[in-house]
Amino acid sequence: MHPLLIVFLVFGIPAGLALAWVFLRGSESLRRYILTRIALTVPMVIILISVVFFVLRVMPGDVVSSTLGPKASDAARANIMEALGLDDPLIVQYFRFLGDVVTFDLGDSFIGARRPIVDELGERLPATLELIIPAAIVALGSGLLLGTFAAVRRKKPADYGLRLYSVIVYSMPIFWLGLLLRLVFSVWLDWTPIAGRIDVVTNTTLERTTNLLFVDAILSGNWAALSSVLRHMILPAMTLGLVLSGVFVRLTRINVIEALQEDYVAAARARGIRERVVTYSYALKNAMIPVVTVIGLQVAILLAGAVLTETVFNWPGMGRYLIERISSRDFQAVQSTVAVFALFVAMISLAVDVIYSVLDPRVKY
Amino acid sequence: MKLILLFVVFAVIAVACSSETTETTEATTDTTTPTATETTTTPTTEPTTATTEPAGPRTIIIGTTDAVSSLDSADAYATADWELIKAFNEPLLRFQPGSNSVLEPGIASLPVASEDGLSWEVTLRDDLVFGDGLELTVDMAVEQLNRLMDSDLQASAPNQVGNTLAIPYVESIEAVDDRTIRFNLLGPAGFFPQILAGAPYTIAHPDFFALDEMNLLPEAPIYGLGPWIITENTVAEQTVLEPNPYYTGAYPAKVDRIIVQRFANPSAMADAVREGEIDVAWRILGSQAADELKSVDGLTVETIPQAPIRYLIVNHADGFVTSDPLVRQALAAAIDRDELSDVVFGGAVTPLLSPVPPGFLGANEAFEDAFQAPNIDLAVDLLTQAGYSETNKLQLDLGYPPEHYGVTTADGVLLVAQQWEATGLIDVNEIAQEWSTYVSNCTNGDTYPVCVLGWFFDFPDAENYLQPFIEGDGLGTMVLCPNDSCGDATTTGIDPLLGQLLLDQRAETDLDARAAIIEQLQDVYADEVVTIPLWLEPEFIIYRDGIVGDGSLPNPQTLNIGPDFEFVYSVLDITD
Repeated sequence: MHPLLIVFLVFGIPAGLALAWVFLRGSESLRRYILTRIALTVPMVIILISVVFFVLRVMPGDVVSSTLGPKASDAARANIMEALGLDDPLIVQYFRFLGDVVTFDLGDSFIGARRPIVDELGERLPATLELIIPAAIVALGSGLLLGTFAAVRRKKPADYGLRLYSVIVYSMPIFWLGLLLRLVFSVWLDWTPIAGRIDVVTNTTLERTTNLLFVDAILSGNWAALSSVLRHMILPAMTLGLVLSGVFVRLTRINVIEALQEDYVAAARARGIRERVVTYSYALKNAMIPVVTVIGLQVAILLAGAVLTETVFNWPGMGRYLIERISSRDFQAVQSTVAVFALFVAMISLAVDVIYSVLDPRVKY
Repeated sequence: MKLILLFVVFAVIAVACSSETTETTEATTDTTTPTATETTTTPTTEPTTATTEPAGPRTIIIGTTDAVSSLDSADAYATADWELIKAFNEPLLRFQPGSNSVLEPGIASLPVASEDGLSWEVTLRDDLVFGDGLELTVDMAVEQLNRLMDSDLQASAPNQVGNTLAIPYVESIEAVDDRTIRFNLLGPAGFFPQILAGAPYTIAHPDFFALDEMNLLPEAPIYGLGPWIITENTVAEQTVLEPNPYYTGAYPAKVDRIIVQRFANPSAMADAVREGEIDVAWRILGSQAADELKSVDGLTVETIPQAPIRYLIVNHADGFVTSDPLVRQALAAAIDRDELSDVVFGGAVTPLLSPVPPGFLGANEAFEDAFQAPNIDLAVDLLTQAGYSETNKLQLDLGYPPEHYGVTTADGVLLVAQQWEATGLIDVNEIAQEWSTYVSNCTNGDTYPVCVLGWFFDFPDAENYLQPFIEGDGLGTMVLCPNDSCGDATTTGIDPLLGQLLLDQRAETDLDARAAIIEQLQDVYADEVVTIPLWLEPEFIIYRDGIVGDGSLPNPQTLNIGPDFEFVYSVLDITD
């Protein structure tokens, strides 16, 4: 089975079941809302990939000159343009691409070995997921904990320190933070590997099924590979996660502060419930609702951040792939990657909205 | 629930921290070779893991920033592609590792030319077996070689340059007897043996590379007639090579495994070799990173004696200021190549004083002889003759790519601009453009009067540093002539003598006579300023202590990478 399909099944089946569960249990208006959102995803993706398609075509430069440089003779250039279908009218190329997207074919890459793009994404998408999922856990986990901690110690040194931290990490360029962490933890302290997803030699022992190395290592019982994967994951995930944690710290802090002033919190305290329980079970739970809405927005930023993180840490994911292919004007790969990104963000956005309705029963659609 | 969560977190941390020491695992090697390839592996978190573990598998990890785009010898053209192809498949002839392009037999004997120089014959060794046990026959060899000549197959080639070592020179390829192959040429070509040492002249395995279809990246394992088998190939990450048990050639593998690890950028590769995650860093690092690594204990940094060239296209087409020969000569006269070498490269590069680099047959210093550059007085005199003055300066657009050739090339181009402006008669407008846009503008012939390009030979002979620059429109490598304003496009748009000399040197079989023609050709080239050669771009190899080349061959200090730029993995060894 194709790794890309496995990845979609791994994430898609639970998400689909959860959506179905919400759909079946939800109100009529919620069901209508979900169907509307799914329907709106289609034009959203089409508009996005159309914009990308036409913008790429008006950019200067072409794939043949870019890849062959001064060795591209006129005849070779013409042959390659014909072979790639780039000499067809723009509208023909456009509908051919839409056809590729609809059939989940995505066509072949324009450069290198002209491999099917689904094969290339089958290698790259799992790498990116293996980066952004732990990064999201770091961002959300540290954001919620530190934000709540700051709210509880409002106007105390810890609060000021955490507010300062959130501003600093959010405004820090990802590549700079990555280089800094790499210098400290990999070069000076020698605690973590310098780059990559897995040790070079260990990689040769890992049987790949999903290309999610974490999953493949567990499936094959290769604990040395699992260890290596986890050690390689630490710095990239921390880099990306810490930068995004700044938003969550500030958001959580302000919402927990507001929640702590609500009547139900005062009532809980009056009933003698421990302050920690009041804070984390009552105030934080309610403060989570606006945080959840921001998670959906942060996914796009997470993917954008992955582009830089992957470059710094030699992580062979979608972000690096996108940069390489934009540079070489591989239109087919770029527009297909953007289409996959768009679908991914759209699905997360839908999931967040649905979760929002579950978390806050007051929300009506 | 909380306890379970805590346990999971603890377990994950424990696993992550558990293997800081050497481990032994079994490699998954899916080959059908008769010898069982059960090997053990050692993670490379320690700097010299591969070099200090006497009992384990002897693995060398080579880092590279090069990507592999094709392993089909009928299509491949990039340096990285050829390097891998020659690792798993041996060409008819080969260059002695580390030498200055000394030819020696590969899978065939050294070629013999007919009296008229129009055909060459080679005899195959009689013990040739592919890595999976398939025996090679002469008919099979000829069929596979003819993939280079098959117009239908070549029309489907993605890169359209893989056959450039065949179509311009070869008319047909045929079997003479059960071991002999004859190449019938379109015209005399004294450099043809060098061409036969290229990756296109390897015999591709017919089960992987069908006669009627290109197969750029076959699924591993990939077998050939070379010392290695490619047992794994992950495009964006790594290629794993293990010894070919059927190899009987001159350079059998000395270690159990080579892993070629790919990096996104030179800085990531430099960090990896500094921290011991790879054993060798080879292509493309840049002089600044190489310089920094010189101070790292346990690393050797070596400069490869000969490398790609950088040169300036000077547009001869009507409408450009550089169509005036006086202007072109003035630009050539004002360049200080020693300053370029010292300031930009810390003295690490060799100034290039002719289109043909030193070491090649007939190479001279034609631009030095013609201009004694830097010669500001001559430049000013020529510009004055061309009608320029301090109040009427030459306005010159200079295009360059800030990233494609690395920061040093960009710095070098900017320094050239300063040198020109130092004449007091030139105003330079430096235009930096991203590569995709830049290369189109530079080669279409109607945008820049001057722009910079790099060139790396397809085969190591002076011909390959002259023909691409002179033939066509005569504006430099593949640069087009706008509006057909450059003269006779079939020979040269500059001086017809250049085209004639090019043909003469090809037909000449006497080496001394050929060298004399090439020297004359370079002199005319310099007078016309067809292009302006700048410098030989340095390339570096960095390796850890314990990795050695073959001491019986030239240049062991560069792991036997010589001026021909070939990295032969099978000469590599690990000392205890």
